[in-house]
Amino acid sequence: MRWTRRWVLLAGGGGLATLAIPRLPGAAATEVIEMRGTPRGERVWFAPLGLAVAPGTTLHFINKDAGNSHTSTAYHPDLYDRPHRIPAGAAPWDSGFLMPGESFEVKLEQPGVYDYYCLPHEMAGMVGRIVVGRPDGAGWEEAGGDAGALPAAALAALPPVEEILAATRIDVERSR
Amino acid sequence: MPGKLIFREPFCSRRIQVGAVETIDLHAVEFIMIKQIIAIASLLAGTAALAQDAGDLGEAPPEAPYAAVSDLVELPEFLPGLGQLYVDPETLPAGPFLGYDRDGRLSATIYMPPIGDLEGGTSFDDLALGAESVSSVDIYYNAGHPGVEQPHVHVVLYHDPEAKGRLAK
Ligand SMILES: [Cu+2]
Repeated sequence: MRWTRRWVLLAGGGGLATLAIPRLPGAAATEVIEMRGTPRGERVWFAPLGLAVAPGTTLHFINKDAGNSHTSTAYHPDLYDRPHRIPAGAAPWDSGFLMPGESFEVKLEQPGVYDYYCLPHEMAGMVGRIVVGRPDGAGWEEAGGDAGALPAAALAALPPVEEILAATRIDVERSR
Repeated sequence: MPGKLIFREPFCSRRIQVGAVETIDLHAVEFIMIKQIIAIASLLAGTAALAQDAGDLGEAPPEAPYAAVSDLVELPEFLPGLGQLYVDPETLPAGPFLGYDRDGRLSATIYMPPIGDLEGGTSFDDLALGAESVSSVDIYYNAGHPGVEQPHVHVVLYHDPEAKGRLAK
């Protein structure tokens, strides 16, 4: 049994479509990120894994995995003493355990790179990266933190910022 | 909500060892699975010697020290494929876990040995059974879930030919 991993760039995905639609002043954008898993739990992941959004976008996390519970938890010293991997001015979030069908929302204002993980599945590489705004925008902050403190599976799963910006949305597909 | 459930004892007792698991590749998983199959074969060979009274365990809820997994950690009451799970917390992470169908009938006994523990030389011997008769066994990889966060193996002993179907949904 050999599993390979390849990035699937969904150029026409929901993220791009959302950004392309002219928004009314004050209208809030919402992006959905699903927590998913295979029926027997061999694999678990966030869908999408990487996402670029405009400042002020609300992220709606929902557990679509019938046989497991998941969290969306920002990498931050205030949460379980983990590395700081969100912009300095941004507040960390922790959804708590979401049972199947449950959801959680967080609004991201501060431009920069946000890395987050699922508490029980970080070891399995269940992490995600959200890029808010663009590197040339005002107040942009690059991702920081001690990468060495992350599990290898988590580090390997995080897509490069440039790829997220280029594709807007990155989904991962692992096939045998 | 820092500290919520996931770090509740005794589930974090082997957390330190998880670091080693991160480096495994799936070839290692495959290798471990072969070792698991050998291990479970010897387990089944010992079934007769471990015969125990299934009367207490045949209907949900089983008596203490068994407790509902959904009361111990944040998991749904019924897990598709495994059913309503009960475990003696002292036996974590390997179990046995007892899987009951929606009518409360004992349908499977499940073991969840972490791959990192097996790689490190830990064996899980003389594990108890929920019932003596076993009609078939499924073995598969699981990336982790609340309760047994480390990547581990599910060894599922079905106690009758229809059990898998009743536990599916
Ligand atoms: Cu998860």
